[in-house]
Amino acid sequence: MDERRTGWLLILVLAGQFVFLTLQVPGTGGSRTYLGAVVLRLVGPVARAVAAAGSTFSVTRDDLTLRDRLIAENRGLRREVEELKLRQLRFEDLGGEMARLGDAVQYAASPMGDIRAADVVYVDHASWLRTLVLYSGSVPARVNQPVLSPAGLVGRVVVVAGPYAKVQLITDRAAAVGGMDLRNRRQGVVRGNGDAADSLEFDYVPLQADIRSGDRVVTAGIDGVYPRGVPVGTVAAVEPGGQLFHRVRLVPAVDFGTLDQVYLLDHLPVPSSIQKAVPGARRR
Amino acid sequence: MHAAVKFFLGLALAVVAHFVGAQLFPGFPRAVDVFLVVIVLYSLSGDSLTSLLAGLAVGLLEDTLTGGLYGLYGFADTIIGYGVARLAQRLVIQRATGVFTVASLASLAQQGIVVGLAWTVLPGPSYPRPLWVGVKAAVCGALAMLVYAATERFRRAYDVRRRSRMSRLRLG
Repeated sequence: MDERRTGWLLILVLAGQFVFLTLQVPGTGGSRTYLGAVVLRLVGPVARAVAAAGSTFSVTRDDLTLRDRLIAENRGLRREVEELKLRQLRFEDLGGEMARLGDAVQYAASPMGDIRAADVVYVDHASWLRTLVLYSGSVPARVNQPVLSPAGLVGRVVVVAGPYAKVQLITDRAAAVGGMDLRNRRQGVVRGNGDAADSLEFDYVPLQADIRSGDRVVTAGIDGVYPRGVPVGTVAAVEPGGQLFHRVRLVPAVDFGTLDQVYLLDHLPVPSSIQKAVPGARRR
Repeated sequence: MHAAVKFFLGLALAVVAHFVGAQLFPGFPRAVDVFLVVIVLYSLSGDSLTSLLAGLAVGLLEDTLTGGLYGLYGFADTIIGYGVARLAQRLVIQRATGVFTVASLASLAQQGIVVGLAWTVLPGPSYPRPLWVGVKAAVCGALAMLVYAATERFRRAYDVRRRSRMSRLRLG
């Protein structure tokens, strides 16, 4: 093919790609592309193999060098498990009491849903276009499924390719989570901060709201994706942002650099009874 | 070796290098773009059509491993592949320092295109820090230079060995 024809082909390819880009609306469903899923399916096993090799190497190294420390740590963890079991018994008691009180006033709290573990095979939390790829095993994840870690909220699934899934981190500039200050129940929108890696902003908090450094922010459960009460972050700084709202900076509850396993939450934003009655119903 | 085989081998190596790098150093994807190095080295052949297609394929692969819209890197890498091939048709790039310059400039151009596209199609996008843009360009240039110098050295050694074996065969 001569250079002139190649030039025309370049223009055609670029125009096609530009149309393809503009057609992807970054809404609640994320960018669902068949091609993206196919490529993720191809490179996912490589990422998993590398992650598994790295994990095996570090486990072997730990076994060799940290045996004594691990034994001591294990003893400490056993003690902690015992204490946690006792606390769990207390919480179960409290839960039962709450359910009884709820019955008395006819209040039905929405269930949190089941969780299942998934391995992180690739994470890039430092780049400006940050992402995470996970392996969920035989049961595939679903788009918009919340992803958690023991410390708090990680993000939501945006692309699924068989056992692999791409996750939009909450620190992504395009991500938005309905948040709530745990101390005063003030709600706002948590967004990724584009300027600083691993930092969040808590937007739409009015100036008259009493919000302080150290306040804990959890999910508000109003966005139709995340359930209520999952830790999102802690208020690090409060500045006067404009005439109406504070400028609130959050430190995420999760350290994204240390993630090797996450949990997929099988949370249905719309109760199953309503879904049966109104097929295709979505919480807005 | 056939150019396509070389390309896919280089791409497979780049994928593994990217995952291993990200596993060992969390900031690796921010500082290095091994996929861009593959495109630049492949496009130095000067074949604009295959370089364009190689850039498109590598870019779409890179899009899988980044957040944002699918196709940002596909668009940028298509231009980079074609641009480097056209440049290689006009200039003789044989020195390793020349490869460093081309790869660094290609990295700057790629990041500029991706930022420009994000600004055009995304509502309120984030942008990379200028320091990291410079670091990435320099590291990509250095990596491309090292790979180019190593493969050239290997090719020369291979040629010398082949010639000496041929002359021995003729004598025999």
